[in-house]
Amino acid sequence: MSAVLDHSAHAAGAAHGAHDHHHHGPTGWRRWVYATNHKDIGTLYLLFSFTMLMVGGVLALLIRAELFQPGLQLVNPELFNQLTTMHGLIMVFGAIMPAFVGFANWMVPLQIGASDMAFARMNNFSFWLMIPAALLLVGSFFMPGGAPAAGWTLYAPLTLQMGPSMDAGIFAMHILGASSIMGSINIIVTILNMRAPGMTLMKMPMFCWTWLITAYLLIAVMPVLAGAITMTLTDRHFGTSFFNPAGGGDPVMYQHIFWFFGHPEVYIMILPAFGIISQIVPAFSRKKLFGYASMVYATSSIAILSFIVWAHHMFTTGMPVTGQLFFMYATMLISVPTAVKIFNWVATMWRGSMTFETPMLFSVGFIFVFTIGGFTGLILAMAPIDIQLQDTYYVVAHFHYVLVAGSLFALFAGVYFWLPKWTGVMYSELRGKIHFWTSLVFFNITFFPMHFLGLAGMPRRYADYPMQFADFNAVASIGALGFGLAQVYFFVAVVWPCMRGQGAKAPAKPWDGAEGLEWELPSPAPLHTFETPPKLDATATRIIG
Amino acid sequence: MPTAAQRKANARTAWGLVALAATFLAGFVGKILWLNA
Repeated sequence: MSAVLDHSAHAAGAAHGAHDHHHHGPTGWRRWVYATNHKDIGTLYLLFSFTMLMVGGVLALLIRAELFQPGLQLVNPELFNQLTTMHGLIMVFGAIMPAFVGFANWMVPLQIGASDMAFARMNNFSFWLMIPAALLLVGSFFMPGGAPAAGWTLYAPLTLQMGPSMDAGIFAMHILGASSIMGSINIIVTILNMRAPGMTLMKMPMFCWTWLITAYLLIAVMPVLAGAITMTLTDRHFGTSFFNPAGGGDPVMYQHIFWFFGHPEVYIMILPAFGIISQIVPAFSRKKLFGYASMVYATSSIAILSFIVWAHHMFTTGMPVTGQLFFMYATMLISVPTAVKIFNWVATMWRGSMTFETPMLFSVGFIFVFTIGGFTGLILAMAPIDIQLQDTYYVVAHFHYVLVAGSLFALFAGVYFWLPKWTGVMYSELRGKIHFWTSLVFFNITFFPMHFLGLAGMPRRYADYPMQFADFNAVASIGALGFGLAQVYFFVAVVWPCMRGQGAKAPAKPWDGAEGLEWELPSPAPLHTFETPPKLDATATRIIG
Repeated sequence: MPTAAQRKANARTAWGLVALAATFLAGFVGKILWLNA
């Protein structure tokens, strides 16, 4: 059944302990509310994250509409700050992170030959916790004083002066953090304990490797965020002064704690994207991934280094020059393992028998545009430059290049790659290509001019700007509208028809260069797979019994 | 489906991870608070 909405019968892969007949689980809405099947929960995560992408996207379009012209047209500055704050929070915690968890739910058990996630009921709880958190976040717009407006980083002491919606925001972050930690524990235990015999760690698909490392990052840093926002809460209501200078507290300490979470968080949002790209590039180059072991070590290195670079977000807080030098060099060091990955993807393509179906287009687009974001990150890592560019649109351009053209493009690549496996239906290649090219073009129209705005000194998080910035802002706003419409097209013209089973029937392995256990199963993947552990060949990519 | 032994091993690994997270939190936030005291 999998992600297809109608309940028609599908071919069963009995040879691999895979079937979806004789299934006596709940049907209708109970199937989803009581879901314990990793595929159903994966589908729920993906649909939830797309919904939040649309909500966050509407906020982004309101921001861009206001910035279309200088002066105040649509929203007042207070509401503008609420929009930027909630756009960031919703996109990071509601869209990008849950989307990758959706991918992990769907693909990790299939790729390692496990019957399901290790803790199926906790998996259900992890997902359903996200709904009240999302309602609290979105509902905070309707609370007295409006939504939180301190920026997605929730810096003190501004958070200590906000209205009651700040408490709703903090509560939402607590719930999302608990959900993330449970999800991570589930993923780590599944990967460590439930691999099929013969699936050694160093034979595991790269997507599983990147998620294993990401889950460790989440377990390490989500409690730190929870600690920081709990201290904010006690400062607000229980008379403490951790971050309140009026009581002897230190707002800069909040920044240290937040960014100790926040920088690894950046890698939490990109490492699984690297994993997806590492699956797709070899499939469409018809070659093995170049430098598999170096990919694993590079991913681990990025994760470890992510813990010692946090203060590059704080160069203007007045730290000693030795501190600036340490964080500058540590940050620049991350470009080494990142470059290893980019080199390996390009080397995989080198002399490959390449074709450019939509997953490959998004992957190549990812490599090209993410690299631009990586380079601007290297530029911002240099303390003397960062001090000039701190809180300008150059920073906004940089992190949208890594989060939109990075994480989001990789998510799209992954959706196109595995959609036939999820739904049993081939998407329309023409529509996929339309989605890719419109996304790529409008993305660059939106965010490339922001580099120039930032270099010219336009600060972020302001509802108004001087006339000199008018042209680039108008261009960026038009691009944002186009980018938003491209994503609506993606759902209406690509995802929805596939979910309804409309389109050519997908074979078990629609991509001839793809390797891995998921392609050994019929399409759509039956509700229950690998109920008995499969026997694998020496490469752990084929089932031999 | 996981066997009983596998379930036990899963639970042990999960509690180990919870302990890891708690230690990390106590260590990091504790250190920051101590530095700030």
